[in-house]
Amino acid sequence: MLRNLLALRQISQRTISTASRRQVKNRVPEMQKIFQEDNGIPVHLKGGVIDGLLYRTTMALTVFGTCYAVYELIVAAMPKKVK
Amino acid sequence: MAHQTHAYHMVDPSPWPLTGATAALLLTSGLAMWFHYNSTTLMALGLLTTLMTMMQWWRDIVRESTFQGHHTMPVQKGLRYGMILFITSEVFFFIGFFWAFYHSSLAPTPELGGNWPPTGIHPLNPFEVPLLNTAVLLASGVTITWAHHSLMAANRNQSIQALTITVTLGLYFTALQAMEYYEAPFTIADGVYGSTFFVATGFHGLHVIIGSTFLIVCLLRLIKFHFTTAHHFGFEAAAWYGHFVDVVWLFLYISIYWWG
Repeated sequence: MLRNLLALRQISQRTISTASRRQVKNRVPEMQKIFQEDNGIPVHLKGGVIDGLLYRTTMALTVFGTCYAVYELIVAAMPKKVK
Repeated sequence: MAHQTHAYHMVDPSPWPLTGATAALLLTSGLAMWFHYNSTTLMALGLLTTLMTMMQWWRDIVRESTFQGHHTMPVQKGLRYGMILFITSEVFFFIGFFWAFYHSSLAPTPELGGNWPPTGIHPLNPFEVPLLNTAVLLASGVTITWAHHSLMAANRNQSIQALTITVTLGLYFTALQAMEYYEAPFTIADGVYGSTFFVATGFHGLHVIIGSTFLIVCLLRLIKFHFTTAHHFGFEAAAWYGHFVDVVWLFLYISIYWWG
């Protein structure tokens, strides 16, 4: 009984430690290579196509938002005529 | 000259300061639209752009440090100063709300019944959930220190376990506090007691959420091997912020929950 318990303990310890080792590989050297490539691309776009998409989306929302805010400001500054 | 001859970081041109400032504009004007014209579109836009700016800006900082190696010792020193100054500014932010609380509670007006807690207010029992919350945050301080020492000792499994427990404790605090808010017999509209209670504890709760988010990002980076035993300033900054949030809670607990 005790031997089974000890065996169970050993197996679960080994399973947990090897599982965490197997799951995540160290990708930092790969990333270092990508981001240190001498291609003149600024860091906010250097990760690939998704960077560009995210940037354009953020900028579009920002520009649209500014225009909308100015529009609402103009509307708010002109009180509606009450008949 | 093909390369820099100093240890400082000359950053690449970046759009995030602009989008961040505009996001702040949208947030503030959005608040005005919500309060006065019952419209939440602008505020939602502001929140979205703020979030997107934060995520991309901090993503870029991780790239500049871990992947490009720009965070030399002088750069790190500057970042440390920056984080300390930021936390100091937050301390002053909270001092304001404690000032408001003590101003109202030390000399309760006749409108309140001349006593504190005001007549009709049934405060929460400080020895129930609030005491548990205190224990939760104190424990998170212990586990994050455990995580830090494990990280410095290159003990990967323990550092990940300890940081996971820290994050869990932070989320547990938030859940408990949310439940307390729901069950409380008084609201923010209940005079100055309600105002001081919910504004002070509310801002604190927001900071717990911010701290927990910072720690979750650190946990992900820890799992992805971003930190080394000697260089892990992001982790240290998150730990400092977590300790700050814990200390604010202790003051809140003693002043508002216990003495108040």
